[in-house]
Amino acid sequence: MGQRSRKLAATGALPAGRQVSEQLLLAVSEQMKLPFLQIARAAEYGQLQQSTETLPDIQTTADAAIRLLDNYLFGARLGLEEQYALELEPVSVSSVLYDAGQELDQLAKLYGVELELNVAGKFGTVMANRQALQSALISLGYTLIEALPSLQTKDHKLQLAAHRCRYGIVAGMYSSVEQLTADALRAGRKLHGHIRQPLATLTHSSGAGVFVADTILQAMDSELTPTRHHRLFGLGTVLKPNHQIQLV
Amino acid sequence: MRILLVEPDAQLARTYAQALHDSGHEVVAAKTAQSAIHAADAHKPHLVLLEMQLVSHSGIEFLYEFRSYDDWQNIPVIILSVVPPGEFAGSRQLLEKELGVTGYYYKPHTSLAQLCQLVNQSTVDV
Repeated sequence: MGQRSRKLAATGALPAGRQVSEQLLLAVSEQMKLPFLQIARAAEYGQLQQSTETLPDIQTTADAAIRLLDNYLFGARLGLEEQYALELEPVSVSSVLYDAGQELDQLAKLYGVELELNVAGKFGTVMANRQALQSALISLGYTLIEALPSLQTKDHKLQLAAHRCRYGIVAGMYSSVEQLTADALRAGRKLHGHIRQPLATLTHSSGAGVFVADTILQAMDSELTPTRHHRLFGLGTVLKPNHQIQLV
Repeated sequence: MRILLVEPDAQLARTYAQALHDSGHEVVAAKTAQSAIHAADAHKPHLVLLEMQLVSHSGIEFLYEFRSYDDWQNIPVIILSVVPPGEFAGSRQLLEKELGVTGYYYKPHTSLAQLCQLVNQSTVDV
């Protein structure tokens, strides 16, 4: 630990990166109880029934949890590094949304959530870090997929979509859930790391995926923001179009 | 015995419902406090299994609403939660005496076999 960190730790004030990573650690630890619990009970039920029927669900749950942990580590490392910014490159939004959808597909099926991809229109490329953008979208999707069935909603549809806005291209995830509001996100950010359920109107869990996504996007000089797509409510991020490629 | 299972997580709800069903119980599942009140009204449960950490309204809010109806004063409620019981240590009196909670069990430490045993024991008590 450096002299500055020691001094800050002694006064109780942690450097911003450490604070982010500790808050995330709390949220992710709380979050991880759920997949472990699901796996433990599904395994026990399989044993009681002397059946292997629960094994595919166990595998999907474990795979998704490992992916969230990986994304957390990615975000936490970025938060700890002094150079808290990622290198940007021209990235196709449509292809990132498609890949994120593919990764979330099994988890969505397990939760009975219908995943849709809506990237109608030509968006060209945006300036982003592909790994970071995809990790952020997958983390966000993890929380939303888990949250949708716990809400009193008519349908459990989650749309991965992109659209143009005044500031660039918005890539995000949308549903008919009205709880995906700016107020909910603002309150969640304030409470994150302090209480078990910072997004209490949206999810019964710690909603760690939302905060992991937020942290990763910040390293890309962006952030998670509440957004609308047609009549749907969602969370997404605004990406800057890659004008150079367009000019060529 | 008809059990009202108040469980927000779709996967856990499925596993608990299957295990309880296999144990010979009828299970009515609800994912929110509001839908649990409606389900209680429609299905007249003999026992409620309750998660405290729900979306929008907490388990405590559900309990206040549930116990406000005369018909549901004596229905046993067992808490099965991801929130460790220690966090409600200061509210034990409230949970047990005022809200009629018969037991508080921490989900990660309660196996399906233990849960079925608890429920079966409640059947005997009822």
